[in-house]
Amino acid sequence: MIGRKRSAKDFAEEIKAHIELEADELRQEGLSDEDAQRKAHITVGNARLAEERYYRRTHWVWLENLVRDLRLGVRSLLQSPGFALTAIVTLALGVGANTAVFSVMNSVLLAALPVEHADQLVYLRTTNSPKGTGTVDSRDTFSYPVYDALRKQGGAMSAVIAFAPLSTSKVAVRYGKDPEQAEGDMVSGTFFSGLGVRLMRGHGFTAQDEADHAQVTVISYGYWKRQFASNPEVLGTTLYVNGVAFTIVGVSAEGFEGLEPGKSTDFWIPLPNNPALNAWGNPPEDGKIYLRKPTWWCLRLIGRLSPGMTKSQAVARMQPLFQRAAYVGLGEPMKGERPPVLSLEDAKGFGSFSESYGRPLHMLMGMVALVLLIALTNVAMLLMARNATRQREFSMKLALGASRGDLLKQLLAESVLLVTAGGLLAWGFALAATRALATWAQIESSLAPDKTVLLFTLGILALAGILFGVAPLRVALASGPALAVKTNAATSRTDAGKSRMGRTIVALQMALCVVLLVGAGLLIRTLRNLENTPLGMNVSGLAVFGVNPHITSLEQGREFYRQLIDALRVLPGVESATLMEERIGSGWSDNSYFKVDGKLARDADGHATLVRNNVVGPDFFTTLQVPILEGRDFTDSDSANAPHVGIINEEFAKRFFPGINPIGHILGTENGEYQMRIVGVVKDHKYRSIDEEPMPMAWYDYAQIPVVGQMSVELRAHGAPLAILPSVRMAVRQLDPNLPLIEPMTQRAQFDTTISNQMLFARLAGFFGLLAVVLVATGLYGTLSYRVNMRTAEIGVRMALGAQRGQVIWMILRDSLLLAAIGIAAGVPLAMMVGNALESSLYGVKALDVMSYTLAVLGVVLVALFASTLPATRAASVEPLQALRTE
Amino acid sequence: MATRENNSDRIALLQGTLDLLILKSLVFGPVHGQGVARAIQRQSDDVFLVDHGSLYVALQRLEEKKWIRAKWGVSENNRKARFYQLTAKGREQLAEKTSEWRRLTHAVERILDVPHGPETEEA
Repeated sequence: MIGRKRSAKDFAEEIKAHIELEADELRQEGLSDEDAQRKAHITVGNARLAEERYYRRTHWVWLENLVRDLRLGVRSLLQSPGFALTAIVTLALGVGANTAVFSVMNSVLLAALPVEHADQLVYLRTTNSPKGTGTVDSRDTFSYPVYDALRKQGGAMSAVIAFAPLSTSKVAVRYGKDPEQAEGDMVSGTFFSGLGVRLMRGHGFTAQDEADHAQVTVISYGYWKRQFASNPEVLGTTLYVNGVAFTIVGVSAEGFEGLEPGKSTDFWIPLPNNPALNAWGNPPEDGKIYLRKPTWWCLRLIGRLSPGMTKSQAVARMQPLFQRAAYVGLGEPMKGERPPVLSLEDAKGFGSFSESYGRPLHMLMGMVALVLLIALTNVAMLLMARNATRQREFSMKLALGASRGDLLKQLLAESVLLVTAGGLLAWGFALAATRALATWAQIESSLAPDKTVLLFTLGILALAGILFGVAPLRVALASGPALAVKTNAATSRTDAGKSRMGRTIVALQMALCVVLLVGAGLLIRTLRNLENTPLGMNVSGLAVFGVNPHITSLEQGREFYRQLIDALRVLPGVESATLMEERIGSGWSDNSYFKVDGKLARDADGHATLVRNNVVGPDFFTTLQVPILEGRDFTDSDSANAPHVGIINEEFAKRFFPGINPIGHILGTENGEYQMRIVGVVKDHKYRSIDEEPMPMAWYDYAQIPVVGQMSVELRAHGAPLAILPSVRMAVRQLDPNLPLIEPMTQRAQFDTTISNQMLFARLAGFFGLLAVVLVATGLYGTLSYRVNMRTAEIGVRMALGAQRGQVIWMILRDSLLLAAIGIAAGVPLAMMVGNALESSLYGVKALDVMSYTLAVLGVVLVALFASTLPATRAASVEPLQALRTE
Repeated sequence: MATRENNSDRIALLQGTLDLLILKSLVFGPVHGQGVARAIQRQSDDVFLVDHGSLYVALQRLEEKKWIRAKWGVSENNRKARFYQLTAKGREQLAEKTSEWRRLTHAVERILDVPHGPETEEA
């Protein structure tokens, strides 16, 4: 239709033809040539008018007008590049910050998994695990018998999928020669088919693969690209995982990063039956791995609801099965024990991560919304100020016959330009910011904006576009055509409505600024407190890394670690070296019930208490420099044949040995199979994370317990801790060429990972606070300069009448300080509300922290003074005569 | 009041009328724009003086509605001209418009033939 449109030229030609035909006819009727021509022209009437009417009918006049308006807009913006740049950058910062935070929130809390029919997928959750079991996460993980029972139910779910990581950190892999570390998951045979994950190459797993514990693996697209250089020949080759050979049979589709919250899995293997490949990298207990240990709740479960099945219907069907399977290997529930209850949760965002990120993210979203509000009002104010100075232009246009609609269109076009430029820049900011955020938060999954985020951003931009178009219109129209004929600059400008609106907005911005600064102050002080929290040990000089040797027997394993320690101790630059099964500061802790002198350790109120425990090597506390209060540290002579010894912390002694010396007392596991004599009491120190409270804790010696597996090595170096890693790597290779150092880092960095959330949020809050300050300052500066400009004549008169420069400066400053005072008065109560809401995220700071409030108030006053200085001095330097001459 | 309403009606009426007259003048085969103008003028005994500008815009409108189609050709005295032709849809429209027009004029005639004007009738 549109393509075959008739050109205006064609139409004009037809009119011309008409005239010729008419002239011919008139000549035939007997007119002279000249008369015929003239008359023919007359019969047509106004040919131009007809052509124009035709043109208007067939062309998208509005589009042409739009293009013209846009062109005009560009020209007009280019005339004041400073204004355009400020407006665009302000908008980009405000919108970009919102896009970035919303993008993170979307990935973490809202986004569905990148699989088919993701709405049918649900995470399985339990209220607890039964007494007498061990669990990784009391809400998320299940035992193998539970998985086995649930997958055999028919009807409620079309697939039940189990998965667990092969290590809490990374596992040793080898492809070709060099040992590396990678993140791997063990998964059920239904993993790819049940989730609906497509494979880019090869195939996924089958139920048979799971039953046979087939030694096949699927690698992720990212891993394939990164480590295999997208080699298409990769299928059929061998990947060694902890020394076990797996044939690569598939590459997963791009975009699927696995189900581990916040991480991106590199490869998957079918649920294995191999002591070298236990769930979570745990050493097999009594030679039993997760498959044979019904009391270890270690598998995460995700299910696909059958079509038409609701969550509650599915739960109703599965609950009895679940509660029966929960006690496999345990017998009957203990008296008075509440059996675990199964529930289902939509598989969205990061699953179990959502809880820890949810609150801070909502908080950040609130902060950036305030920033956006400041940014939008800023740009609107700038536009209003700018357009007020253009009143002459508008007035002239109105006088020349432009309609109000025409003016609105022109203003909207300018606004569209600003918003488009700002929006594009904002999107760029957001892309960079999400990447930076992911790194800071140590999230491997992509946080990049998707379609939902794009819609969100476009929504904000549309709102901004309309606001920026309409807000200045009032000012533009205020003058009317009459202004054009006024020649007096001073009077023409003072006519513009007093900027009470502008003052209100500035005061509001100041209030929001106070809120943001208080929030930022509280969070930054929280971070400082966390960073300065004494760890109870000397972390400077400590380096830590993991090793996962190929272990064939208990004796061989112990021997390996003994040799490793011996080799490391003699390395130049190493002061001391020790081992630990669970890396300290990793955020993980192993907890179980203990018997003290044959009786279950109980709280004051009689409840059995979980005790933290870890398995460590000789010189552990000496290496960490944790003070030993009583007794001694583990030593090399605490060997397998020596009497079993254990060490407890102060808190343990306080709770279970009140008023007694614990040395010499007997500590045992819940089932009584392992017992040890307490030989030392150490001072409480941080174990799992920086912000934890002291908990009763006990340590075993690795050489004396009947399990050995992956361990972490702690080294105290003389110089920079990481500088000794190359020589350490050599020493480890000499023992076993297959072993990579797993996640080597300083112990400080390891502890910092436990406050990475707080660090991230504090940094962001600080950044947003700063952003708010800058925006408020530019906004105030813009408004003031404009107002001073308007009042040039008035100031000139005042000075001519004897006002001193100081008085003029004070006049301007007083005005801003008044606004700041109003803003502070409104902002402090608001900040108090926000502070209360933040309370649970604070550490060592009260919500009513005087320091944060003082700094915020000072900050706002400084902003007010700083932004006013330049306009005020400019006002004071007005030459009275010059100013009056502009009249 | 009454006259003002009549006025606006007349404009609308005339526009529709021009369409009808164009369609009618194309019944016997393709005619170019100037021919249409002449035909209307001549057949109405010079009562209608067609504004040619409006005529061409009207032709364009009818073409867009697909009631007529056009193509460039050569006139009997060897001049280049754009010839218009009725489409099937145009023929349908012509029949419909004609009967509509007849009904309208009939109704108007009847009103005009009543001895007293509407005002007096009301009184």
